[in-house]
Parts: sequence; C-alpha cells; structure tokens
Amino acid sequence: MDLHTLAAGLAMGLGGIGPGIGLGIGFSKAMEAIGRNPEASGTIFVPYILGLALTEAIGIYALVVSLIILFAAK
Amino acid sequence: MVHVEIAAEQLFTIGPLIVTNSMIGALLASMVLLVIARFFANGSAIVPSRGQSLVELPIEFLAGIVRGTGGKRWRQFAPLIFAIFLFVLTANWMSLLPGVGTIGLAKQASDGTKIIVPFVRAGAADLNFTLGLALISFVSFIAFGLRANGVGGYLKELLIAEPAYMTPLLTPIHLISELSRVISLSMRLFGNVFAGEVLLATMLALTTATVFMLPLAFVIPGVFIGLELLFGLVQALVFALLSMTYITLAIAEHRQHGEAEHHSGEGPEQSTASAHGAA
Repeated sequence: MDLHTLAAGLAMGLGGIGPGIGLGIGFSKAMEAIGRNPEASGTIFVPYILGLALTEAIGIYALVVSLIILFAAK
Repeated sequence: MVHVEIAAEQLFTIGPLIVTNSMIGALLASMVLLVIARFFANGSAIVPSRGQSLVELPIEFLAGIVRGTGGKRWRQFAPLIFAIFLFVLTANWMSLLPGVGTIGLAKQASDGTKIIVPFVRAGAADLNFTLGLALISFVSFIAFGLRANGVGGYLKELLIAEPAYMTPLLTPIHLISELSRVISLSMRLFGNVFAGEVLLATMLALTTATVFMLPLAFVIPGVFIGLELLFGLVQALVFALLSMTYITLAIAEHRQHGEAEHHSGEGPEQSTASAHGAA
C-alpha cells in the first residue's frame, strides 16, 4: 500500500482531534451563555466566530498538510 | 478517481505574467462587484428600492459588527474590511456557479489519463489569492499601528516586552506571532475553499460511481453545495473580522498605553488616598 495515503489519513485524523474538542468546548460555552442571557447573543456572536476561526485553523493546517502529502509531495 | 490540482493551472501568458484560471475567477468576482457598485452607486436614494436594500444588506450587517467591536475609529478602516468581506464572499459564492471548475480544455496528463484544465477556478482555491489578501491585511494593520503609535511607539511596542527583563524571551514569540497571522489567515481561507471544492468533486464522483446511485447524484451534491454557501459566508466573515481585530489591536495598543500613562498620572493620588484609608 502507498504510504502517502496512510500518512495523509493519519495527519488529518489525528489533526482533527484537537480542534474538534476545542470547537465543542467553545460551542457549548457559547450556547450556555446564550441560554443564560439570550439578549447577549448579538454580543457573543463576533467573539464566538473569531474563536471558532482560530480553533479551526489548527484543523485546517492538518488538512492542508494532508492535501499536500496526497497531491503535491509525490 | 477525482483529479485534484493544488496549484492553479496556467492558461496563457501575457509577456512575463502567467495568467492562471484562478486569476480569471478573482477578476470575474471583482468585475461583478464593480458592476454592482457602479449600478447602485449612481441611483442610490435615501428611501432605497428593493434592489438597493438587497445590496446594502451585507454592508449594514457588517457595519453593525464593525461599529460594535471596532472601537472609536471604526470609520477609518471600515471600507477596507467591507472590501475584503465582499470580495471574498463574491469569489466564494461565484465558485459554486455551474461551469466554474468544470468547463475547460481537455488535456493529457503525465500518466496518460485525460484531465480537464478549467477556464475558471474559485479565486480562493489558490494560495496566491489568499496570501495576497493576507498580506494586504498585514500591511494595513502595521500601517494603522504606525499611524496610531508613531514609528518609535510602534517599534517599542513590537520589540520591548512589558517587564523589560523578559524582552529576550518574549520578543521572538511576539515577532513570530505577528508573522504567523499572515500564514494562518491565508491558510485558513485557502484550506476551507480548496477542501470545499475537493469535497464537492468527491461527492459527485461517489454518487455517480454506479448506476444504482445515480438518483442520489441529484440530491447529495446539492446538500453539500448548500453547506458550501454557508462556509463561503462564514469564511468571508472570519477573514474580514480577523483583519478588523488585528487592526483594532494595533490601534488599541496605543490607547492602552495612553491609559496606562493616564493611570500612572492618577496613581499617586489613588495610592495616597488608599494609604490614608489604611492609615
């Protein structure tokens, strides 16, 4: 079997764990905050989107690395 | 098997300039924006027509956010943020139109299979596009920082850490974090849009793999195109908001500094007051 495929799968799979946990924590906290104070949902939205983007960036790095392994580094 | 090309394909050259298909996509997006702006800027009324309020809707939405979080000087950088948002949004959504990435010239690949070199490719599915935007954002937040703090204040803020003895440790970290903003901004947009393209192609390839699955080919890629509409909006918003946050931070460093001086001016009175209270 081609090791490139395995490497790309591992890079994406392992790299997705951390951002997944982080996004889950962030989303649950945002929902909790909106549940406690529904009027603040407008204020929460922007920091939430920013935090989501910064957390998700780690997953995107893994994705880019695995795409490079798959399609560019052969 | 889905054919995936990470780099944008070259279409033709104008002198030394290589024109790739994602440049065509970005040009089309900016031309659409220009046409819409030209069309609605001339006939803009105080009581807007239906079309005008549709065009003004994203601007108003973003203006509300920028006004709320951009601080006092939001009017200075609001046009840049709007431009980034609208450009990325248009480029992302135009890449979902039929024909983008599918109509092109057939070419023989190096391994003998036939591939298509599309005429138009999503602008943000090329790292050059996103890196260019990230560099614009980088230069502008440095420029705003320079304008707010002055050259000396900016360099002091950049190179000297808050307790001065921590400078050798903290300054490299600070410099790297400034530079990594460019990488993370560009990689985030590129990764999302490119992965979206690959996802759509994979879904289409999966559902058209066998005859029995063919009815699904009309449903499943559609669902993912809907998802891509959402992702395109979120990524445009994220890029614009992060640029805004960096600019606000660069300006606010000065304000915090000023407040610190202000506080230190008030400090002795407060400390004497508290000393009196303690006494």
